[in-house]
Amino acid sequence: MSVAIIDYGSGNLHSAAKAFERAARSFENPDKVIVTRDPDAVFRADRIVLPGVGAFADCRKGLDSVDGMIEAMTEAVRVKARPFFGICVGMQLMATHGKENVTTDGLNWIGGDVEKIAPRDESLKIPHMGWNTLDVVREHPVLERLPLGPKGRHAYFVHSYHLNATNEADVLARADYGGPVTAMVGKDTAIGTQFHPEKSQRFGLALIANFLKWKP
Amino acid sequence: MILFPAIDLKNGQCVRLEQGDMARATVFNLDPAAQAQSFAAQGFEYLHVVDLDGAFAGKPMNAQAVEAMLKVIKMPVQLGGGIRDLATVEAWLAKGITRVIIGTAAVRDPAFVKEAAAKFPGRVAVGLDARDGKVAVEGWAETSTVTALEIAQRFEDAGVAAIIFTDIARDGLLKGLNLEATIALADSISIPVIASGGLASIEDIKAMLSPRAKKLAGAIAGRALYDGRVDPAAALELIRSARGV
Repeated sequence: MSVAIIDYGSGNLHSAAKAFERAARSFENPDKVIVTRDPDAVFRADRIVLPGVGAFADCRKGLDSVDGMIEAMTEAVRVKARPFFGICVGMQLMATHGKENVTTDGLNWIGGDVEKIAPRDESLKIPHMGWNTLDVVREHPVLERLPLGPKGRHAYFVHSYHLNATNEADVLARADYGGPVTAMVGKDTAIGTQFHPEKSQRFGLALIANFLKWKP
Repeated sequence: MILFPAIDLKNGQCVRLEQGDMARATVFNLDPAAQAQSFAAQGFEYLHVVDLDGAFAGKPMNAQAVEAMLKVIKMPVQLGGGIRDLATVEAWLAKGITRVIIGTAAVRDPAFVKEAAAKFPGRVAVGLDARDGKVAVEGWAETSTVTALEIAQRFEDAGVAAIIFTDIARDGLLKGLNLEATIALADSISIPVIASGGLASIEDIKAMLSPRAKKLAGAIAGRALYDGRVDPAAALELIRSARGV
């Protein structure tokens, strides 16, 4: 089995690849993790990971600039039903639009827009940088046996925007940062995290391992 | 084989589309319940219903019309369009639908189909729409490079009752069923396959009854029944005599 991490010039690819390789090593037959900008390799992969850091519009532009990548991803995930993991802006790209400075079209896999977070408490800074616990909104195979909730493990966030999903059923988990922040979404065979599992230590690795085990 | 008369619902009315295009809908009957009753009176034994608005919206949109039909007929009904979660499957089955047809979700969310089929064995069918053998999703607005067979194979041994294989290029155009592609699919999987799209004349019924089509479980007839190209009595008589009863 292979995991393709999409290289489109806007990911923290190295740490993502390392985390997926580490999580894969916990299995008897570790998945082969590849970092690639080849749409065919993405189309053929058993699992697909879309990382992303920076501004929504820049990430979208980066993805568009790799010829055939969006088509390959979309077919692999939305027709071949390959499991997909979007990380941070990679997750935000699953939305209908990004509203970071300008309105940009997302992939529209998950209805909703990416909007600026607005913590009620003014002492809470934007960007939101740091560790938060997660509240599960909907049970999901990738969340199985993870210590979540107020006394659970923490996930690492760095962001100023979040995906405000239209359908509550598409939200898997939220964090509290002066109000609810979408931490994780999931629909069909795709999931996405606003936080960085690759920087969330043991919790992040356990989540990635669940993703690698998931057979939707 | 079973000949399924089709009722496509749009805004509470019975319509037929051409090649799945919502803009090319012809209203055939304002009263779906009356249409269902008329099919029952003609001797059909299993009704095929599609909630077209539901297919586009991703959730049931013509529930009232469906319930009105269920009230007035006794024959089993299979229903598709906008069925994308287990709660919707359960609700329809509880309302008296014999089997639900899952389309887009069967492509995007195979785990859901497997779960539904395991929970309701024999009551979940998969609708696969193809253009040149390649699967199309989301109310047919998008086509892919993935073959219908590839998707169908996911559901082998999952307890899926049938695969309804529609050739979009022919649907509503009365060019005849795409039997070659449908038989090829039926020969490659163990799930019963129902042919759909383009049934135009009694010749299609005869072809369905020929030995090479013996693996096909049935065919869906739409426009040809509404405009009189296929005489229900003659078609049903042909099928009955082929059954040898």
